[in-house]
Amino acid sequence: MRRTEPPKNRPSIHDVRPVPVRNVGQWLGGAVLLLLGLLFFQILVTNQNMKWPVVAQYLFDRKILAGLGMTLLLTFLAMVIGLAIGVVLAIMRLSSGRVFRAVSWAWIWFFRGVPPLVQMIFWYNLALLLPETSIGIPFGPKLMSWNTNDLITPFSAAIMGLAFTESAYAAEMIRAGIQAISHGQTEAAATLGMTRGQTLRRIVLPQALRIVIPPIGNDTISMLKFTSLVSVLALPDLLYSAQMIYARTYQTIPLLIVATLWYLVLTTILTLAEHLIEHRLKASPGQIARRKWWEIGLFGHQRAQVQA
Amino acid sequence: MIPPLLSVERLRKSFGTHEVLGGIDMQVNRGDVTCIVGPSGSGKSTLLRCLNYLEKPTSGVVFLMGEPVGLRWRGSRLHEMSFNELAVQRQRMGMVFQGFHLFPHKTALENVIEAPVIVKGIPRDQAVDEAMALLDKVGMRDRAHYYPAQLSGGQQQRTAIARSLAMKPELMLFDEPTSALDPELVGEVLATMRQLATDGMTMVVVTHEMGFARDVGDHLIFMDGGVIVEQGRPAEVLSRPTQDRTKSFLSRVLLDN
Repeated sequence: MRRTEPPKNRPSIHDVRPVPVRNVGQWLGGAVLLLLGLLFFQILVTNQNMKWPVVAQYLFDRKILAGLGMTLLLTFLAMVIGLAIGVVLAIMRLSSGRVFRAVSWAWIWFFRGVPPLVQMIFWYNLALLLPETSIGIPFGPKLMSWNTNDLITPFSAAIMGLAFTESAYAAEMIRAGIQAISHGQTEAAATLGMTRGQTLRRIVLPQALRIVIPPIGNDTISMLKFTSLVSVLALPDLLYSAQMIYARTYQTIPLLIVATLWYLVLTTILTLAEHLIEHRLKASPGQIARRKWWEIGLFGHQRAQVQA
Repeated sequence: MIPPLLSVERLRKSFGTHEVLGGIDMQVNRGDVTCIVGPSGSGKSTLLRCLNYLEKPTSGVVFLMGEPVGLRWRGSRLHEMSFNELAVQRQRMGMVFQGFHLFPHKTALENVIEAPVIVKGIPRDQAVDEAMALLDKVGMRDRAHYYPAQLSGGQQQRTAIARSLAMKPELMLFDEPTSALDPELVGEVLATMRQLATDGMTMVVVTHEMGFARDVGDHLIFMDGGVIVEQGRPAEVLSRPTQDRTKSFLSRVLLDN
């Protein structure tokens, strides 16, 4: 490399600040994306087919709000039932009993493999397979029996399809969480005279759930969206309520926008809640990191990772 | 004659085809400090873990106050104990691990009161009072509300000792309690154990600390290849070993000290 002579009156290196590197690519790319964004926004605002007044008219419609409630109820019940079954499956999977392990494996294999939509339709039509449901002694007399068609409503079929699918995924997450707890923890509990159940409840599960909460949060968000599948069972959730209205009024796009807006509101709330919980859990116990509220944003997690 | 607090008879342990313990007989009298030393892989830790049935012996029996550990007579038939029956027996034997194994989601104080409250059903207030006294004894009173992650290795190990003592055990087992510690932290844990010995606690200590074995131990056991090679009063064994294997081990270890 050829060395050029330094100019005579250059200041001392300690007296000046260096000019930062300019990233031309970021500026150019940013400008293009901004332009595309503006175009999209223009379509949103100026396209008459969006019919924003109709959107506004139906956004807080009684039927839409009832559908919203149904969506939330389905999400909540499916998650609670799914997690409860999932904990049992995870414990069975880690048990020393071979039958327990096999049954848990088979359940997880089946319900992870069959799409929830197929399951829901199947559960709904269960009466075709088992016309009568009864309680009694296996292979012996029946004590009570019901017509299966009375038991299976669109609601119970939907809950089964969603909760059973969730249970299979939750079981695998909880199993991984339990296995991440070191063997030393259970040994220490054993030497203190704790029983298996006490060790599980007091030592292993509290630590395992801490690990499992972030993925469960993600699952809750997915579940909220999966509930829209119940529209095939004519169960009036958020999507089906919107569908019922546009089937009558032919305002298809505005009502789909209404549903979209509500789904976005709900997933945004859940995402924020999940990030709050995750940040609390990530801080080592006892020293919960004090963060400014704007640092726990929608994408706070990713940003923190980029900075790290 | 008073029967020994702990006695081990013809204890063998194999992992697959690999025999780790090849027939151990030993006794521990109440109030004694028994130190077990030997090269790594000699079976010391496995022996200690067989004493409270963390490892199930392949054959042979451990007796605690005359009762077989992990086994129970039903008439003339011998049965294995269930995990929860064993738990009752384990309350009488505390154990301190090389890796501390404090519960990370609980403070030092919560670690200490956990078993008394959950297992023995002692009222929480009373358990806290007793736990604070124990934490005071191991020099951890001012750190009672710290979580394990906020404590040094030595502080964690002293808390672990207090946690075991909270169950008021007859016997304390120590599995290389200072091996995972930075050198400058070893002293504080050994001082706590020394204090415990002075208080009359029966202790079985697997250790590499020859100084502790000589000064605090009442009995020294040298193991190699899964058997007890030599045992006796620590000063005797350390200064006048009779077996060649003991001599060569001691010459290697004492050179370092």
